[in-house]
Amino acid sequence: MKNRCSVQYGLLLALALSLALAGQAWSRSASGWQWSLVLKQDKVSDAMRMPTALFIDGKQGHYYVVDSGRNRLLSFDRQGRLLHIFNAGKGLKTPYDMVRTDSGDIWVVEKGKNSLSRIDLKARRITTATLRYRGALVYPDRLEAADLLYVLDKASGRIIAYDPSSLKARTAFTCPDCASGFVDFRIHSGRLWALDRQDRQICRFRLDGTLEKTLPLDGRLNFPVSLAIGPSGSLYVLDRHSRDIVVYDQAGRFRYRFLDRGISRGQLYYPVEIRFDPWGGLCVVDEGNARVEIFRR
Amino acid sequence: MIRVSMILLLLVLAAASAPAWARADAGTCFSCHDRAAFTGRVVHRPVAGGRCGVCHNPHVARFKGLLRQRQDTLCYSCHRQQKRLFARGVVHQPVADGRCTGCHTPHAGSRDLLRKDLASACFGCHKDLARKYRYTHQPYARGECGSCHRPHQADNLELLVRNGDRLCLTCHAGEDLAAGHGGFPVPAAGCLSCHNPHGSSRAALVRDELHPPYRKGCSGCHRPGGLTMARCLECHPDVQKQMLTTHSHLTRQDSNSCLNCHSPHAGDTGALLKGPVRLLCVSCHLRTLNGYRKSRFKHPDIQDCSSCHEPHGSSHLAMLKGDGIKVCVRCHEDQGKFTHPVGPGVLDRQTGQEVTCVSCHNPMGTQYSYQLVRDGKKALCVVCHRAY
Repeated sequence: MKNRCSVQYGLLLALALSLALAGQAWSRSASGWQWSLVLKQDKVSDAMRMPTALFIDGKQGHYYVVDSGRNRLLSFDRQGRLLHIFNAGKGLKTPYDMVRTDSGDIWVVEKGKNSLSRIDLKARRITTATLRYRGALVYPDRLEAADLLYVLDKASGRIIAYDPSSLKARTAFTCPDCASGFVDFRIHSGRLWALDRQDRQICRFRLDGTLEKTLPLDGRLNFPVSLAIGPSGSLYVLDRHSRDIVVYDQAGRFRYRFLDRGISRGQLYYPVEIRFDPWGGLCVVDEGNARVEIFRR
Repeated sequence: MIRVSMILLLLVLAAASAPAWARADAGTCFSCHDRAAFTGRVVHRPVAGGRCGVCHNPHVARFKGLLRQRQDTLCYSCHRQQKRLFARGVVHQPVADGRCTGCHTPHAGSRDLLRKDLASACFGCHKDLARKYRYTHQPYARGECGSCHRPHQADNLELLVRNGDRLCLTCHAGEDLAAGHGGFPVPAAGCLSCHNPHGSSRAALVRDELHPPYRKGCSGCHRPGGLTMARCLECHPDVQKQMLTTHSHLTRQDSNSCLNCHSPHAGDTGALLKGPVRLLCVSCHLRTLNGYRKSRFKHPDIQDCSSCHEPHGSSHLAMLKGDGIKVCVRCHEDQGKFTHPVGPGVLDRQTGQEVTCVSCHNPMGTQYSYQLVRDGKKALCVVCHRAY
């Protein structure tokens, strides 16, 4: 009888210990994300320097990386093989973000010129444009394309939608009670999702500029810089200073966080942007390690 | 039954044989230690009760002063409420470091068991603050630091008891305030952007340096179109160039980014900053400062973030003033000449990036000596030198 009790207590203790250990490890293991691919220059001497953005052309199956430090754009295929290096005849100055529209034009945010530049590949021509909104100079930062070109203005922290043909402002997305405005945004399922770093919240807008919902994020975030919306609607927030990704459900409740600091494969140093590709990959642009890491479940 | 009786007997014997220092009064201690040193206006309750053994072990201890535990652990073992409170918001550095005796005496002292009066305790560390100005704010002159600052923890930066103007308006309100700001087109606000709360060489504690256009009047800046950033950059084109970089500090919703840090009217120095650089930085980057404080090994004397970081904008990582070598060798000249190979041509094979000082060191603090990002005995080296 006595021995039986001891065995039962022992089992209970082991179970409790296992649960405690499992609880600690859960937040990382629950993610299920595995390193899959890296986009980088194979030739070390010609490596990227401070890449800042990724654009994914789902139709062609290409990744485009903005190599800000070397003033060029690089394209890769789905297997991570380098296809082209493009510097527009050394015409780019501190490119920061880019999109490629259905017409084939490439739009690039050039911070060095404070412009939104249009590259017409067929005509081999670059047209720079200085944007304004209600008379004030716009400092383009992040860029997305749908029917309109959506530009994050770094100076005001608002997102402005421009007509791509005339570059006239159509709509603005402004956070009503943000201290500093937005730092990143995504267009997903007919909604615009914008990340407010200072107040640690995500705002969801209709594309006509109406604010639908504000999701306050909890205090786990250190320095959020980018967001992505997962296929199941989960919100992925990139924390630059914690060097990891924090995942929230659609109501803004914390689910788990994963990745950590370092220079080895799958680790982050100064990550700057995250995006989902159409093939289930979660892509992290790492400025500090000068590469794009792609993770899959 | 016999077993239970034995256990009870052992317990009684153990209690009876407890060391003398744990149950005796302080008489034994005072046979060597001068009793007069343990008297004062306020005496700590354990001392008054003669319970020296609460904090000290008379024979041997791991902590200085024969303390039984680390000093803050000892203090919080009784002051439990304070432990919870002092973990929130902005925490005074000695409190965060667990140095309670930096300000308090554990035995006997003045009010609140302070070692000296409050102002002396404050100025003991804050030596860079002038004690007197031509025009000194009255509470400051009287050494009433606690009128505006909390000593342990606060919800506001600089440990202020209230935020911004609310603090000033607790004393300065009513007609005097309006009269003192005659001619201002809007109600007075943002007090600290023009006034130094401690003192100044100008009347009304207006900060020492005036913005040249403001000295001439208001219309230099306040023209139709509003006080936009573009207006500031008309006279400061060099700053505009710094904004055209990969990372800049252009951040302010519907307003002028310059005014995040600069006062358009008056400042303590020519840069017309609204306060000390570090205070301005932590108003947004508080977590960075907290991370620095919690690190075991960190670069000393980080008072002015702009020593290494470019506050307007930079195309270097972390908005540094240069690459991860140039910024360091400005001070660490020897290491710039003799070190592990770094710089152009020395590339990390994993990332293709130049090996620099910050490849191995993180001045903002780490858990390893010399602010190494990993253990320097092996873990750091084998990240690159895998064959070893």
